[in-house]
Amino acid sequence: MTGRITRALTEATGLLRRPQRTIPLVGRVVSDKLRVTFEQRHLYSYTTTKRASGDALNSLVRWILDAQRPDGGIAAYYSLLTGYSQSYPEVTGYIVPTLYDFTRTAAHGEEHEAVTAAERATCWLLTLQSPTGSFPGGVQGVTTQPSVFNTGQILHGLVRAATETNRPQILEVAALAADWLIEVQQADGSWSGPVAYQNTAHTYYSMVAWAMAELSEHADDHAGQRYRQAAEKNLNWVLPHFRKSGWVDGINLHGHPTYLHFIAYVLQGVLECAILLRRNNAIDLVAKSSWVLLRKFETNKYLAGTYSPDFKDGLRFTCLTGNAQMSCVWLRLYEVTGDLRYLNAALKMNEMLKQLIPVRGPRGIAGGVSGSYPVWGRYQAFRYISWGCKFLADALLLERRLLQGIETSEYEALPCAS
Amino acid sequence: MRIVVLGSSVYSETSCAIAAHLAEQGHAPIGALVFSTLNRRTLLRKLGQWGAREVVRYAQTKFVARGNGKGAELSNPYLRTMLSHGPRLFRSLREIGSVYGFPIVTCRDQNSPASISQLKRWAPDFIIFTGGNILRKQLLDVPRLGVLNIHLGLLPEIRGMSSPEWSLLNRVPVGITIHYMDAGIDTGPILQRFELPDVNRSKSLSDLRYRLIAFGIEKAGEVIAGLDQGTIAATPQASLHSIANQDSQFFVMHERLQAGAAERLANPHQASPVTMVNG
Repeated sequence: MTGRITRALTEATGLLRRPQRTIPLVGRVVSDKLRVTFEQRHLYSYTTTKRASGDALNSLVRWILDAQRPDGGIAAYYSLLTGYSQSYPEVTGYIVPTLYDFTRTAAHGEEHEAVTAAERATCWLLTLQSPTGSFPGGVQGVTTQPSVFNTGQILHGLVRAATETNRPQILEVAALAADWLIEVQQADGSWSGPVAYQNTAHTYYSMVAWAMAELSEHADDHAGQRYRQAAEKNLNWVLPHFRKSGWVDGINLHGHPTYLHFIAYVLQGVLECAILLRRNNAIDLVAKSSWVLLRKFETNKYLAGTYSPDFKDGLRFTCLTGNAQMSCVWLRLYEVTGDLRYLNAALKMNEMLKQLIPVRGPRGIAGGVSGSYPVWGRYQAFRYISWGCKFLADALLLERRLLQGIETSEYEALPCAS
Repeated sequence: MRIVVLGSSVYSETSCAIAAHLAEQGHAPIGALVFSTLNRRTLLRKLGQWGAREVVRYAQTKFVARGNGKGAELSNPYLRTMLSHGPRLFRSLREIGSVYGFPIVTCRDQNSPASISQLKRWAPDFIIFTGGNILRKQLLDVPRLGVLNIHLGLLPEIRGMSSPEWSLLNRVPVGITIHYMDAGIDTGPILQRFELPDVNRSKSLSDLRYRLIAFGIEKAGEVIAGLDQGTIAATPQASLHSIANQDSQFFVMHERLQAGAAERLANPHQASPVTMVNG
């Protein structure tokens, strides 16, 4: 409680300490107010490209590189009130694959910068692991309490860094983290107790299962089998939480509405895990839920920032991160099923998101993705968040790869395509 | 048969062509109800969407009568034969109404009580929809047989928007479906569906659309004659579903995919670079 009050006071007094931040803050609020008042969304809003994806991608990665702190970690956010936050281990972990993916498409020079940033981020992460194998929750310095979710998210980065650099030491760190995750996994496949957020099990921990499945592809046979089984066990726990309506139960964020970001986490984690584990039944469930959201986006021109059970209603602000994640899910579903309607929706979603990235502004704002649109919306209000940039960069990288596949006829459906 | 034409503008080429074609076939409408799109909200929306120049052009097509000599230009050149009447071209529903003796009534909202009352007074056997608002149940219930729509795709495979383009990309034959409307989007019972011959003769996607509209109007005349003679019956879509367990609704297509559809139109035999639905 004291911590929350301190944080609220710090935010509130941020402008008093740095009054020069008032101008960008007011500018952003006025800009978003004008936009939501006068810009009426319609059927054809996002069907033409108004901003090149390559430009948007470069500005997103530039934002991420600027957010890298001297310790090598990536800041959680840039607040319009208080500036950059401390390094955030969780996001630093899963930004690493994005940086490496970017290097495959980047122009000369930028490639080097992104690789260096990924290596610095990895080195910092290696210093954070506890002897048990776990990683701490929250932003740097707030807690040393081990966290399943953060460990899983960091695992994504470690696996990728290990394959990119061929450093066995990184793979050993990843294996230690995964061993800890198996150790604290419940018999039913979930993760709960003090190592889980709010001491309870969450279906969005499918993201952790995905990381385990990923690691299983790079570990030796025996260890790989264990990691695969742990991932499968969690997947089997998550799948019964899918309702007929497409809604997923068990997100379990007490005291918070169900943000699109977390719904998308469940879908993304299950989908990627299912692709790696060749589980078509899980892909079908994700496709059904994603189709419900696709229809809402195509019909209403936006996805609500939060949803109530069965997607009945939601708060009318936009959770940009959740939108970018849904774009990733639709693009992957297109890749798996071949249904072009997923690609079509993702292209439009990306177009919408690109139009909401500030082209100009001070460092921390230009090229960033705000938590909410308008910026005062309920999710991460008045902040530009690093995981928003990460997911939108992922969506644009996927878009580029899939469109190149279409244009060069190189694309083939994945072997698990149903 | 008592037929009413429901349109979005008195100057709509499509509405005019349908009314004129039906009249020429001996099924002159008993009235036309036109939805006035002249409102601030629509114009502001289109201003944001298209820019000032295109809005002026749009307003001209909706509200300004154009030349009606034989040589006058049409947006859709394939409607010329249907719109020709002696030495002139029909360019407004009012002209057609005055020649064939049916009234044109304008309304702000097709679903308003005043519009419904007007339609009830006409007591139509069916209404033919040529554009306008989403139709509410109380309007759909007015005609004895139903509200007819010409959908630019083959139902039940391709419902919704950008149908010709989605048909091309998914290698579903390009064509039109004449069906009764219900509360869903293109889900009503099907009267008849027709494949467009020589699809690849179309020079562009917009040319293909224009051809489909003209083709649809021509076939609507045949279907109405069949309804009059009792030789055509409607078939519920549920009994025709060819895409098992799949929602066949399609949405407005992004320009990147439209380029693919245009490519498919120009090179129909090119191997598919992507895995398509039904493909």
